[in-house]
Amino acid sequence: MIKLENIEATYTTVRGRVKAVEGVSLEIPYSIILGIAGESGCGKTTLMKVIYGDTGFPLELTKGSVDYGFENDRGQPVTSRNIQREWFRNISYVPQSSMSSLNPVTRIRDQFTDFPATYGRKREVLESVREYVQELGLPPESIDAYPHQLSGGMQQRIMVALATFFHPQIILADEPTTALDVVVQKDILILLMRLQRMMRNTIIFVSHDMGVHYQITHKMMIMYAAKTVEYANTDDIFKNPLHPYTLMLTSSLPTIGDERARTGLPGRPPSLWDPPQGCRFAMRCPLATAHCHEVEPQLLEHLPGRFSACHRVDAIPELAAKVWRGPKLSELANDQDKLIAQVESALRADETEGAAAAAALKEEVE
Amino acid sequence: MKLAQYVLQRFATYLAVLFIGLTITFFLPRFMPGDPINNYISQIQARAGQTLSPEAVEQIRNSLAELYGLKGNLFTQYVGFLNRVILHFDFGPSFTNYPEKVSTILLRALPYTVGLLLTTTALSWIIGNLIGLVAGYYNKRAGATVLELLGIVLYPIPYYILAISVLIVLAFWLQIFPISPTFLPGEFTWEKFKQILYNSILPALTLVLAGFGWNILSMKSLAVSTKEEPFVQFARLKGVPNWNRMTGYVFRNALLPQVTALILSLGTIFNGALLTEMIFSYPGVGLLMRTAAGAGDYNLLYGSITLSIIAVATAAFILDLIYPLFDPRIRLGR
Repeated sequence: MIKLENIEATYTTVRGRVKAVEGVSLEIPYSIILGIAGESGCGKTTLMKVIYGDTGFPLELTKGSVDYGFENDRGQPVTSRNIQREWFRNISYVPQSSMSSLNPVTRIRDQFTDFPATYGRKREVLESVREYVQELGLPPESIDAYPHQLSGGMQQRIMVALATFFHPQIILADEPTTALDVVVQKDILILLMRLQRMMRNTIIFVSHDMGVHYQITHKMMIMYAAKTVEYANTDDIFKNPLHPYTLMLTSSLPTIGDERARTGLPGRPPSLWDPPQGCRFAMRCPLATAHCHEVEPQLLEHLPGRFSACHRVDAIPELAAKVWRGPKLSELANDQDKLIAQVESALRADETEGAAAAAALKEEVE
Repeated sequence: MKLAQYVLQRFATYLAVLFIGLTITFFLPRFMPGDPINNYISQIQARAGQTLSPEAVEQIRNSLAELYGLKGNLFTQYVGFLNRVILHFDFGPSFTNYPEKVSTILLRALPYTVGLLLTTTALSWIIGNLIGLVAGYYNKRAGATVLELLGIVLYPIPYYILAISVLIVLAFWLQIFPISPTFLPGEFTWEKFKQILYNSILPALTLVLAGFGWNILSMKSLAVSTKEEPFVQFARLKGVPNWNRMTGYVFRNALLPQVTALILSLGTIFNGALLTEMIFSYPGVGLLMRTAAGAGDYNLLYGSITLSIIAVATAAFILDLIYPLFDPRIRLGR
């Protein structure tokens, strides 16, 4: 279990210091895909940086720590202090911009072997990388290529291969598919899910796309203005949210067959330079009372495994009934297993070109 | 196969550039008003006090035209020019050093210029880029600012001020080096080599100082922007150590525009040499050019300009050939 304890992360800027993540406490079980969602600027990426241990100037972990729940090769528990030594051994990272995350002037195989995790066993690593990329639907020669010789989808597969090759406990993926077109996007997401099932590692996944979250994550954490507002199983998040912000977020998703115009959530999140007293969502919340504006709600376990930071959890079903009028997203089938089975058989049939399979798959799903 | 094709293509371009350049140098003066032979004859006549007979004038005209390749119509002149220049590297005799051949004079001066400028350009490029790389890569540390300051101070100083200051300090006050170099003619011996080396240090020093300021500043800004590129950030998150990131990631990528700048500056070394050679009386092509221009020595001027064209075109050709080694994206047919 990964334990985040009262994380507070601060950026030092010319204007002063701003807390991008404040008081986030979380227990993430192993071997799940955790999704983190929220508006731009809510602290998702900062939280990812903190979990990855990438806290250099101007970012600073001002309070709290992360306990990753395993020990390093010296037998010490791994925490936010020494996680850097585990990079690409036990924790790895899939960046957003695969197209620009590979060094354009060196061969891909050299980028599999230029970091400490591979020192001293280069040849051996390359042999198995060659086999491994084949499993991911890439030709083995692709690692001898330069990045510009591969397509965007292939490059992102390479990034996934890099991140998963060392069987890390934890994989962080910060919007790994936003730069890709929908066909390739689905392809990469399914690949990630498949590998996660195989290796049983923990993936922490950040995306704006609630549809993607619904399809691939097991648990979700919703962030709003540097704080956690809800943390629960993905199903609950979408079917019975316990926070009005979550409700508004999920109900803004269009569903097929529903021709009702979507109403967005009016207003903007509060400025982190001058956060309001009380609940940070209060000024946009349809349920807000005077109490909400004065007292800040704590993240509490209202139902088993379902955490929410809201004073008015009781009033949410009522609000939901008002908001949900069309067909609910929860009525759509969640057919992860079907997707994976299909892709696996397609990959076996045509190992060199996974894109074709994904294209066919996409048609079927739609 | 692909490589041979690539080289051949580039070589063809090279020849075409040379040909066009030579053609322009041939035609440009010929389209200018005035006739150099008439000018020359009127000069002789003025000196001779109008005592030359028309036959003698005609004779002089003929021999001059033959000597300087001005016989026949434009086309035969052009063919003759190409034949002499391309096949025999012959620009005729020098006016001022008659009857020494221009090519002999040029070849005598060439090793000095090339030796001096190749060494200094390479040195200032290497030192400047290394300093710039460190200054850029560690741009948030105080030490890097000191390194960058070196570039900021050196770069804007006009070359002649820098050169003359160095000359005053090292040759006039401290008298470590000669104010004006002496190069003894004669056999090339170890002694002579040492003498040339010693006499070249001062001009070389000024060229390095003048050159590397630019290299520091340009490499520094390249390194600063390259190190923020996602692939360098990703390398950091992979755990690639600082040194490897600086060399294998930042330097390898920031190098590309710098290589272009290096090769192009090598192509213009004859122009760059002009001031240095004048200030230090260094017997290279630059000094030759200046003398030729001052004395109206057309043939010598022709020869040095042609040499410059060959140098620039050759530099571009070499650049084309080696660039793919640095940047795989340039490799043809991919």
